[in-house]
Amino acid sequence: MLTITMKSFAALFVLSILGGCSSSASVQLTGDFPKVLAKPKPLSAAVVFEPSFATYIAQPNAKTVIDMGAAQVRLLRNAFAGLFGRLEFVGSREEITIDNAMVIIPSVREVQVSTPSENYQNVFEVWIKYNLDLESTAGESIDSWFMPAYGKTPDAFMASKSDAIEQAAISALRDAGAKLILDFYRIPSVHNWVIEEQERARQASLQQPDKSEVSP
Amino acid sequence: MSPTSKLIPALFGVFLASCSATTTIDEYRPTGEAIELNVAEQVVILGRRDAGHYETDREFVDCVASKMRGADIGILPEQEFIDAIYPWFEPRTAPKGLSRLKRLMQDPSIKAEVDKRAVRYLVWLDGSTDTLDKSGSMSCAVGPGGGGCFGFAKWDKLSVYEAIIWDLQDLTEKGRVRVDSEGTSYLIGAVAPIPFLSPVKDDACASLGNQLKSFFSITPATQ
Repeated sequence: MLTITMKSFAALFVLSILGGCSSSASVQLTGDFPKVLAKPKPLSAAVVFEPSFATYIAQPNAKTVIDMGAAQVRLLRNAFAGLFGRLEFVGSREEITIDNAMVIIPSVREVQVSTPSENYQNVFEVWIKYNLDLESTAGESIDSWFMPAYGKTPDAFMASKSDAIEQAAISALRDAGAKLILDFYRIPSVHNWVIEEQERARQASLQQPDKSEVSP
Repeated sequence: MSPTSKLIPALFGVFLASCSATTTIDEYRPTGEAIELNVAEQVVILGRRDAGHYETDREFVDCVASKMRGADIGILPEQEFIDAIYPWFEPRTAPKGLSRLKRLMQDPSIKAEVDKRAVRYLVWLDGSTDTLDKSGSMSCAVGPGGGGCFGFAKWDKLSVYEAIIWDLQDLTEKGRVRVDSEGTSYLIGAVAPIPFLSPVKDDACASLGNQLKSFFSITPATQ
């Protein structure tokens, strides 16, 4: 009886060691992202999180799966709040209710992962390549912006590969937020759209009767 | 006492002595005076993470912070500061020089967050610990009658870190400290593997933390 118990224990011990040595990683990104510290412009935008984006699960290679849909939605909600004063988040283009807004449809082009055994450096790396389709509410294309994001994390001794990839992916998502805040209004076509929108808003305010005037 | 029984402790003594790390500290201060820090003010220690092939690891940043905290210096946790002013201290956006810091601090919302947390000084830590050279070999075997490891291995480690202190009030550099720590570790396989590890990174942390502590002079809170 004792022999069987010892054998079972030894088998479990060997299995747990082999499991620990496994090179596959399945990661679900949880947790929140900090609120962005940026003053939004008095402009409107409708961000379309299509189901394929909101539930996106990346499989950069045969041994790695990253469930990042919900996390990237949380991050972009935060980041766009620092860019636009009036925002609407919808699941499809048909649900948009605001006028004179920029319609933003994000999608993931590719996710890449690199581990210390592949890059011969002591870091785990994650690249996320986003694409933002920018349109007017009438459906006219403004631009299609390619937005790469990068994150890395040191190879913590004895830490699991999943934990390291999770940290690198979170770092890449935070980088996407930083890039968005830093570069979005520097896109020439977006800059032109902002000028046109500001001019349209100015013309609209001029056409409205001055309410401060006292009638005779 | 037999010669063998004297030899073994002597051998262990030699190994233990050679496992110590050699640490060199260089510092630069524009003036010889200590940096004044109000008891109500805080210091934040940040790791540089923009280099391609390494990251200043959080463990080292936390270690230096704990050394300084021991001297009653108010330390704001790194992640709390980075999150409070997200995204302006991410690897992509963090200021690399004083001119960029000045531009950032001109933003009223960033300045307000820094003031809200009473952060007076920012200490940038940049560096890493690397294994330079490995030699020797160790082989382990397990059989029905037992197992063991035989052989000898040694490796050299080098820690190089630099700390730069920025004053967030007058937006100037207050000083720099550079620490180089080097040591050799050994692994002896005599049935069981016996490690003699050189505390290279710990020495670098303790030296840097103690040197940074000496930079600051705590003053009473001003009204």
